[in-house]
Amino acid sequence: MRTKFSGILTLLLAFVVQLTFAQEKTISGTVSDNSGLPLPGVNIIVKGTSNGTQSDFDGNYTVNANVGQALVFSYVGFNSVERAVTAATSNISLQLTEDAESLEEVVVTALGIKKEKKALGYAVSSIKEEAIKDNPETDLTRVLQGKTAGIEITTQNGISGSANKVIIRGMNSFSGNNNALYVIDGVPYSNDTNASGDFVDGNSGSSRSFDIDPNNIENIDILKGLAATTLYGTDGRNGVILITTKTGSTKNISAKQEVNISTSYFFNEVASLPDYQDKYGGGFDQAFGWFYSNWGPGFYEEGLGGWGSDAAFDENGTLAHPYSTSAFLGANYPDYQALYEGARYDWKPRNSVEQFFKTGGVSSISANFKGRSEDNKFNYGMAFGQVEDEGFTPGNKVTRTNLTVSGGAKLTNKLNVRGSMTYTKTNFKTPPVAASFGSSTFGSGSSIFGDLYYTPRSIDFYELPYEAPDGSSIYYRDDNAIQHPLWTIQNAKFSQNVNRLNGFASLDYNFNDNINLRYQGSIDTYSENNVNKQNRGGRTGDLVTDSGFYSTWNNTNTISDHNLVLSGNNYSFLNDNLGFNFMAGATSRNRKFDRIGIDSFGQQVFDFFNHEGFTDYGYIEYHEERNIVGLYGQLSFDVNNWVFLNLSGRQDWVSNTSKNNTLFYPSASMSFIPTSAFKGMKSDKGINYMKLRVGYGTSANFSSGYPTATGLSLNTQGWLDETENTTNSFVGNPNIKPELFAEVEYGVEMKLFSRVNLDLTYFTRITEDLIIGNNPIPLSTGAGFTSTNVGEIKSWGIEAELGLDVLKRSEGFNWNVNVNFFANESEVTDIGDNDILIYAGFTNLGNGARVGYPLGAMFGSRIARDEDGNLLVDGVGNYLADQVDEDGVLPFIGDPNPDFVMNYTNTFEYKGLSLGFAINHTSGGDIYSTTTATLMGRGLTTDTENRLSTYILPGVNINTGLPNDIQINNSNFYFDNGFASPADELSVYDGSVVRLREVNVAYSLPSKLLNKTPFGKVTIKASAFNMWYNAYNTPDGVNFDPNTTGLGAGNGQGFEFLTGPSSKRYGMSVNLSF
Amino acid sequence: MKKINKISVLLILLLGLTFTSCETTDLDLVNDPNQVTVVNGDLERYMTAIQVDFKSFANAMGGNGASLVRIGQMGSVNYVNAFAPASTNFEWRLAYSNMFSDMKNAEELATSLGARNKHIGVMKVLKAYTLMALVDYFGDVPFSEATNLADFPQPNLDDDASVYAAAISMLDDAKTLLQDDESISIGVDYYYNNNFDKWVKLANTLKMNAYLNTRLVDGDAINKLNAIANSGNFIASTADDFQFRYDVVVNNQIDSRHPGYQSDYTAGGVTGYQSNWMMDQMLQDGDPRIRYYYYRQNECTPNSIGEDGAACAPNPEALFCSTQAKPVHYPGSMVFCSVENGYWGRDHGFGGGIPPDTFLRTGRGVYPVGGNYDDSRFASVGLEQGGGGAGITPIWLASWSHFMLAEVALVSGGAASGYLQDAMQISIDKTMSFGSLDGEADLSTTDNGGTVPTSGTVSDYISAKVSEFNNGDMATKWNVLGLQSFVAHYGNGSNSYNYYRRTGYPTTLQFTVEPTPGNFVRSFFYPADEATPNPNVAQKPNVDGQVFWDNNPSSPGFPSAN
Repeated sequence: MRTKFSGILTLLLAFVVQLTFAQEKTISGTVSDNSGLPLPGVNIIVKGTSNGTQSDFDGNYTVNANVGQALVFSYVGFNSVERAVTAATSNISLQLTEDAESLEEVVVTALGIKKEKKALGYAVSSIKEEAIKDNPETDLTRVLQGKTAGIEITTQNGISGSANKVIIRGMNSFSGNNNALYVIDGVPYSNDTNASGDFVDGNSGSSRSFDIDPNNIENIDILKGLAATTLYGTDGRNGVILITTKTGSTKNISAKQEVNISTSYFFNEVASLPDYQDKYGGGFDQAFGWFYSNWGPGFYEEGLGGWGSDAAFDENGTLAHPYSTSAFLGANYPDYQALYEGARYDWKPRNSVEQFFKTGGVSSISANFKGRSEDNKFNYGMAFGQVEDEGFTPGNKVTRTNLTVSGGAKLTNKLNVRGSMTYTKTNFKTPPVAASFGSSTFGSGSSIFGDLYYTPRSIDFYELPYEAPDGSSIYYRDDNAIQHPLWTIQNAKFSQNVNRLNGFASLDYNFNDNINLRYQGSIDTYSENNVNKQNRGGRTGDLVTDSGFYSTWNNTNTISDHNLVLSGNNYSFLNDNLGFNFMAGATSRNRKFDRIGIDSFGQQVFDFFNHEGFTDYGYIEYHEERNIVGLYGQLSFDVNNWVFLNLSGRQDWVSNTSKNNTLFYPSASMSFIPTSAFKGMKSDKGINYMKLRVGYGTSANFSSGYPTATGLSLNTQGWLDETENTTNSFVGNPNIKPELFAEVEYGVEMKLFSRVNLDLTYFTRITEDLIIGNNPIPLSTGAGFTSTNVGEIKSWGIEAELGLDVLKRSEGFNWNVNVNFFANESEVTDIGDNDILIYAGFTNLGNGARVGYPLGAMFGSRIARDEDGNLLVDGVGNYLADQVDEDGVLPFIGDPNPDFVMNYTNTFEYKGLSLGFAINHTSGGDIYSTTTATLMGRGLTTDTENRLSTYILPGVNINTGLPNDIQINNSNFYFDNGFASPADELSVYDGSVVRLREVNVAYSLPSKLLNKTPFGKVTIKASAFNMWYNAYNTPDGVNFDPNTTGLGAGNGQGFEFLTGPSSKRYGMSVNLSF
Repeated sequence: MKKINKISVLLILLLGLTFTSCETTDLDLVNDPNQVTVVNGDLERYMTAIQVDFKSFANAMGGNGASLVRIGQMGSVNYVNAFAPASTNFEWRLAYSNMFSDMKNAEELATSLGARNKHIGVMKVLKAYTLMALVDYFGDVPFSEATNLADFPQPNLDDDASVYAAAISMLDDAKTLLQDDESISIGVDYYYNNNFDKWVKLANTLKMNAYLNTRLVDGDAINKLNAIANSGNFIASTADDFQFRYDVVVNNQIDSRHPGYQSDYTAGGVTGYQSNWMMDQMLQDGDPRIRYYYYRQNECTPNSIGEDGAACAPNPEALFCSTQAKPVHYPGSMVFCSVENGYWGRDHGFGGGIPPDTFLRTGRGVYPVGGNYDDSRFASVGLEQGGGGAGITPIWLASWSHFMLAEVALVSGGAASGYLQDAMQISIDKTMSFGSLDGEADLSTTDNGGTVPTSGTVSDYISAKVSEFNNGDMATKWNVLGLQSFVAHYGNGSNSYNYYRRTGYPTTLQFTVEPTPGNFVRSFFYPADEATPNPNVAQKPNVDGQVFWDNNPSSPGFPSAN
């Protein structure tokens, strides 16, 4: 049975045996699916022989058989059909019916092993080509958003090509990488994010999964749990995203040639612009001033808050032009200032922020070619894709070109060779992005969004020239303390140009029908050329930055991977009642990262960027290399095809520690199909199919970097020309151990009433001996950080996927609803002797681990409270801040983990027309939002329009002990008790959001229409992405999009530092195949 | 048979590919290529690092104390939030993670090299100063379990009195080591250029300071102090001043300019605020140092009288409080918001938003940061002006020793006015010697139409103050001594912060703008980077805790000016 099944897939076509008998007939026909669409690739064999064929692209086939023989039609996911050949038979056309039991049947599991889904004791989600290709998002990772339960995608912002992170089943570790592993055609694929700096000084840079061409993807299988990923060893601990490309697919193609061309164009717009109010302009406490804040007089003359009573205005309601009064210009450019003498500036609301963003365009073209030789011994594939994605932010653009060639050959009947190579060129450029607390940037870098969003309503930065005569940035403030946003666009640039090559070569040797030896060698290497530059004359306040800088550096990352696998398949015992497979493998993997470059400062000639033109130079250099060697094995058993047992294990060795550098981790999983075991259970009107599964898996995370090394920092300019050396604040820990993950998952899969699919998973996880790579230790030890293993995290969660065919007709109208749901909880249960460990952000505002709190909890200063928990207000009516809570620890201010995430996808189909939309609901999850706090605190959005009354903060007066009754004005309320308050808690908001993630309408031209054309299929699709969302617990006017991360692609969660808006995209694509 | 051979060959080949042909199986990659290791440490390089970190520590700590006692401006509305735990991470890191840790390694190197006792002596002096400063600001601090990660990963606090005692004995050890003639000199000595007699004087002076601080809790402290004073072997003249001299070099790797200059001489104007009280005090007193300490960009502060005697209109945009009434808790004589003659700073405890005033504010002058001398030019600040930042951080000045002796005389009923007079004279002379750092300045004296005080003006000023001291009651004496001492400590307020907690004077300091600022900072919160990861260093509930030598009444109630 097993032999036959897999034989059909892989072997039979290879043996084209010509048997000649009398009475041979040629039989032809068409095979279609239950909806009448032609079914290509159906295996048609003459029963009892190895003679057979496959249906072609239009479902047609021709086969020779003798009268008296029978033809067997089989296709994955459909019930096999047998038809006798009689003397009269010349045409057999039929419809295959779907096999409910199979549920899409074959999925790719670890190391590319294909398995029947029913044999798996763990959850695997498959995403098909249709859900991925021709998407408005050019970043595959973003495309995966909402596609399946348990996978969370966080994007840095809406900058095209900006960083992302992919977390499956929640975070497990606070210092290790929590991102899922990408594997393309069996080759580990780096998803590094190499930002221009840290989140404070520069947070630009793509995640390298951006290099993947979504249009060359045939299928994605997501291995979520540890039971599924054990064979990947330590790299698989965060789940694995297995991508099968069209060119790398080993699936046999039916036609000799397949060509697929698609092209698309989408518009890209800013999605999260605030609703600015237009009643009041710049100033503070109702008085006019050229300030950052917008608490000035109204744009009306008479009445409370009007400009009529402000001495800064003349009788026409105009002001002295800021450039005529700027002390900065007076001090530095008096001649330039003279040009503005007597100039006036109108007092009216302006919309420059809205004008700042433009509509970008995303165009893409891709072409895929596949073919095989007549005898099917040789095959090739080729894919070409090009994408140009222009952001809505001026200066932001990313382009990507992919070229893949692949091929395979059967050298003898026993030896197969295959190979594939992809070249990718990605060019990313963006204005700089860095953290801001709402008053310009606080680090040493520029940030385009940091200076933009809170532009007072009375300011139009298009009206205000941004360049002084020598090219320096000038702006409205008297001290010129803000860098003009247009100057930033013009003069500050970051680019990342990537050349990447990845591919593999593999040799397969089949000793016999059972035993196979396979070697695969693969490489993934990228060279990332970074340029970060800014002309002199910036206004970051950092002398070195403002002197003009030019940094150029190259990151080279290479992963070399070898795998040798001996596998034995399709053993059967006890009259085929017991099946058995085994596999044993060895792998070695090397990752080498090198960064080298020059950092120049002190630009001599404006706009001349060459290191020659700078006065001072610094170095940029970093190296890291690590090897992992692993041995692994797997045993699989099945009983009568209704109980499946899978045992696997892996032992890893790593190179960067001398002690504790090896570990074995096992996993076991089992699935049971009651509908096969108890035939009575199964009925067409009731339970069509049921599977129960249980899996146990373990994995480990080894330290990265050099955790055991203690160094000394050397500074050749310690003081003037003297070299100094000083003990590093990091000390190595020779005893560092790997951190351990263990997971148990239970699941049930069901198909009911021929129209409901249900897949439920419950999992629990435990992480022990957590590695904290940069664990803060008391400074009084003489160091500041070390690497330690400490503590334990427990987590659990539920994944549910429901598919419902509301309407299902073989011809006509189909309506399918898919819902996926994910909820997880985690709790830090032990952190050793520490009260708290802050692992991301700042030491006094960041994500920390504390016993009893969820992983990811945010800690910072909070509003002071008395013993009864009442909020404390000071003598003038403002909240007091607490740096420590009642336990003397940095207070808890929020939990960024959502309560649950739910995605609803609806698809309607009528003949060739389909309509789909996807809605996401993320409930709960706190976010420290500088954007929201700043826009509110500076009085910019419609939320702050009603501002002329007074406010009393709820709380208790610290001096009197009585309820607070001190009235404060608008700026005290929003500014002093908002983003300018020492209590960070006041900037934390609930990040719940409902989002219309995707809408699409597609039309496939009827095949009759295409008969006379070379095309096999023509599809036109209009789609839109992120067209609407509502973060319903944040202030309406801010229109904040919580899917953003201010801490970059690391483990930080729930913080946002004016790091940028999100994007919405809409447009059309055309897909042709022939 | 042949087939088997073929298969074995293939197998061996493939295994070979996997495990031998590449460097992918090397399991010994534990050394970090990005840094040198501790065995590469060099004694002289440690000495450089320690000396450079020390000046940063002294300067930053001095700034903390200064802002509490109004030598500098405090921007926090209340005392409890004035120095959040994270605000002193830098100083603590310099002390423990940089200096003490480096000293530990450097001492081992010095010992193994031999003939390096002077190196060790210098380190002990610097360490003693640092430890005493830590105690003065924080109270109990880690000492006996510090910088010993292997044995004490979470050091406990040592009693502050015992740390002081250890520092004093460290200074005694240092004196012996510094006088070891067999020992070679330090590669580069930024403080005394290898004059070890001066290092000994410093060690003695620091001991005197320790005795001064502990005089309330140690009945014998004054005697011990006097014993050293009588030996004369302490910092008594300007030539022996313990200070760090900055430079003008600035590039991407180093900024050798005084940190105060870095913040005040920028293309965007002055970044910090000066203390209104201090400026007003010196202005009203006719203090000859005012033009050296402060550089005005503007001659008219809103809602006051300008230098030319004309009234200056209120301007809420640039100086918000200029339209506000003086707080009711301020006595009539207390300056509020607007200092005359264009001195433009902020009141104690004013924490409002920052208006566009960076080209209006008063910046630091030529002393001690190496900025501009204020010759009434009223020009905007900018890069590279004045002394280019080649100023000093004063760490112990001769004048301070004389203020110390004046205090000792005052408490023990001796004649204090001579010490006061010397202290003022030495301080004013040193300050005025800085004028020439500003090459652009007009340094002609007032009798020649310039702005530099004549020696007659200076001596008149000193005599007036000394007679005020002599004629006043005890409270007046403490106030005058305190005020003069505070003025002389411009540039490093650590001693003044101690004086204020030791004596409760001066009582004439400006109050905080907010009438109920909470209790004065009797000691600082522990730095977040220590308290957060160290369960043995429990964060303080508030800032009321008194260091061991402060046995004055607890807060509130002391100090009276609050």
